[in-house]
Amino acid sequence: MSSREVFSVLGIFDSPHVLMKAIPTVRAGVAAKLEAYTPYPVHGLDEALGLRKSPIAGMVLVMGVLGAVAALGLEFWTSGVDYPQVTAGKPCFSWEAFIPIMFEVTVLFAAFTAGLGMLLLLNRLPFFRHPMLMSKSMPLITRDKFVLAVESDECTLDVDDIFGLLQESGAAAVEIVEAPAVQGPSSPKFFIGVLIAIAFSCVVAGCATYWAMKLFPKTVPMAHMLDQPRLNSQQENNFFKDGSGMRMPVDGTVSRSSLPYNLQEQEEAEALVNPLPRTSEVLKQGQRLFNDYCSVCHGIRGDGLLEDGSRTLTPAYEANPANLLSKSIVDLSDGSMYHVLVKGKNLMPSYAPDLTGDERWMALHYVRVLQRAFNATDEDVASAEK
Amino acid sequence: MKSEAVLEKLKPAPVIAGHVRLGDLDDQLLTHAGERPPLAWFIAFAMTSTAALIGMALIGYTIATGIGVWGNNIPVAWAFDIINFVFWVGIGHAGTLISAILLLFRARWRNAVSRFSEAMTIFAVICATLFPLIHVGRPWLAFWLGPYPNQRGIWPNFRSPLLWDVFAVNTYFLVSLLFWYIGLIPDLASMRDRTSNKIRKFVYTVISLGWRGASRHWRHYEKAYLVIAGLATGLVLSVHSVVSFDFAVSLVPGWHMTIFPPYFVAGAIFAGFAMVVMAMVVVRRTMRLEHLITEYHLEVMNKVILACSCLMGYAYLLEGFTAWYSQNSYIHHTFLQYVTGTYWWTGWLTITCNILIPQLLWLRWFRTHYSGMIFVTLAVTVGMWFERFVIIVSSLHEDFLPSAWHIYKPTIVDCGILLGSFGLFFTLVLLFARILPVIATTEMKMVLPGSQAHKEGGSHEQ
Repeated sequence: MSSREVFSVLGIFDSPHVLMKAIPTVRAGVAAKLEAYTPYPVHGLDEALGLRKSPIAGMVLVMGVLGAVAALGLEFWTSGVDYPQVTAGKPCFSWEAFIPIMFEVTVLFAAFTAGLGMLLLLNRLPFFRHPMLMSKSMPLITRDKFVLAVESDECTLDVDDIFGLLQESGAAAVEIVEAPAVQGPSSPKFFIGVLIAIAFSCVVAGCATYWAMKLFPKTVPMAHMLDQPRLNSQQENNFFKDGSGMRMPVDGTVSRSSLPYNLQEQEEAEALVNPLPRTSEVLKQGQRLFNDYCSVCHGIRGDGLLEDGSRTLTPAYEANPANLLSKSIVDLSDGSMYHVLVKGKNLMPSYAPDLTGDERWMALHYVRVLQRAFNATDEDVASAEK
Repeated sequence: MKSEAVLEKLKPAPVIAGHVRLGDLDDQLLTHAGERPPLAWFIAFAMTSTAALIGMALIGYTIATGIGVWGNNIPVAWAFDIINFVFWVGIGHAGTLISAILLLFRARWRNAVSRFSEAMTIFAVICATLFPLIHVGRPWLAFWLGPYPNQRGIWPNFRSPLLWDVFAVNTYFLVSLLFWYIGLIPDLASMRDRTSNKIRKFVYTVISLGWRGASRHWRHYEKAYLVIAGLATGLVLSVHSVVSFDFAVSLVPGWHMTIFPPYFVAGAIFAGFAMVVMAMVVVRRTMRLEHLITEYHLEVMNKVILACSCLMGYAYLLEGFTAWYSQNSYIHHTFLQYVTGTYWWTGWLTITCNILIPQLLWLRWFRTHYSGMIFVTLAVTVGMWFERFVIIVSSLHEDFLPSAWHIYKPTIVDCGILLGSFGLFFTLVLLFARILPVIATTEMKMVLPGSQAHKEGGSHEQ
């Protein structure tokens, strides 16, 4: 047998005591790498084989701290920066309340570092092609035997020498484990297979995602929230005789803030008095309403002109809006002006649909303010200077 | 002479009865997966899986219809669902306590019962997570609980104990599963090498990850196992504390108490140990494990139950003291509700089952005889479920405003889902007992006499 093909030589021992006694002898006898295989961890084997301490504790410490920092970072950023919400009167970054989750994430990171780090990183598992798994001794190892292996580890083994050494030191049996046949380079067929598998996985994943995002939410009972029986306005419905889903108000219904206005002539309205007080809020609202509705034709000052003195839009309609600052308008009573707002005059349309009763009075208050401001006298200036 | 006799008495009892060799363990514990189960197993399985199916059907009905099919209504917005959640999470704690805390304490007797109780932890947490999931009403949207970037631009409230709960229970489940799996790997490798069935061999090969028992692997393995045990110890204490925050952080009278976290943890271990003993007794008898799970094991676990029962009694007394000392009429009212209100009998049942009946365990007979143990542990299980009923329903149903008071009555759906959770739990336990080794074989090998090499110049007492 060529020694190149030998992966390791195994000495099979019946008890951990014999194994432990044999290790120093064998270690002194051969230079190759020694490995022990046992059914359970035998304490003291690490020192006997001269293995270093496991670095798990350090890995766990680092990842645990990282877990705590990651959790705190997430909580700080989401609660304090991206979506700051005050709950229970606490500051947005209330670190005391973040501790439970920091603790849990620390444990999660640390435990998975220990578990997966041990399996995947340090022990290089899963690994199914290790020569030991093919040996006859494997079922004995996982049951009740203790094996000391002299492994080739890139050097050739003197099989007969090692046999003698192992038997001398108390091995009940010996076995040779052959190295696995060297595998040739993968064929193109393999790569094509991998590509097809990847393409297939992409299609399956795509279909699954489409189903999960688009179709699944529309199936019952997930769609229960989407199904909300109701009538949209203007919709047809056969429940009522007229076939309309909407109902007309009962005869004589009066809408709030729009009392019926039954006067026909401007003269009849003269006696009406503006019911609203002249407070700054009312005037401000009046200004807003005037600017929104009236200034389009009457101008921002009420004189029918723009800031630069040109006429407002009205020439396009061949209209000539009243100069609200003129004497004839100043002399009009509140009631007359109100009537014009409701009924319209000449080319001016009715503003009844656009402005509620109170809003009309507010706008009128503001018109009075404009009139007073632009018809100011010297005495007014003097009294203001006082 | 006298001191020697005392020392002899103080020596721990052997954790294994009789003479057992390494291979015997494999022959007894790893063979079940390949065998046809006995008739009794099939009968038990039929019963538990029927119960589980009833539960699943009612959960399906709940999801399709909405949680209006339950008895919950304001002010009793939490009822069976949260009672069952707290109950099942609590059951899980015994497993982690046995597998983690007792490992750190080097209590060698734990090796015989750790695997079984860890499995019960996982199954209990599965049952527990079911309830918040269906309580949200639209379980397919439960991922909203997690912090993930979304179109709505909102994040969960990290100051809410309910979110802490999400993290705590998920971490608990994942870490328990990892711990359990890592413990299983060497046993799975043994099963891989025993079986001649091709399919089974393939499955075991894959899930044992090609474990080969190398000492270079064992040194990392043992260290990692110990580290995870240490971390899980913190989890045992934290998870039920966080669950108790769901109550303690609110302002509901009867909930807003600082004693809640330790009180909940003690109750969890109490209920968990009772469940472990109850199931263990059955497994030990039917699978003939009397020499591995000895009377000593059962006695020790029963003593833990007794100790927890005394702690619970103290907690109940302290709850009453807190109510009295608070000088708050709402808390007075709630506390009196527990024992004299609509649900007065649940309060007394809780006290009887959790405090009075476990006192029987002071008698050796109850700690060592099957009928005695089963009586006490059944009482504790019932008592601990009703304790959560008292905490949740009795506290909620008469809150601050008498106009809002409401008598809670569970519906048939509530009861069916509770039955289903028990069915699911025991179905999983039964499957586990047939498929995987119920006793951690590798860990048992470690504590067999003569399993560790003698140190030079001194005898190592096993």
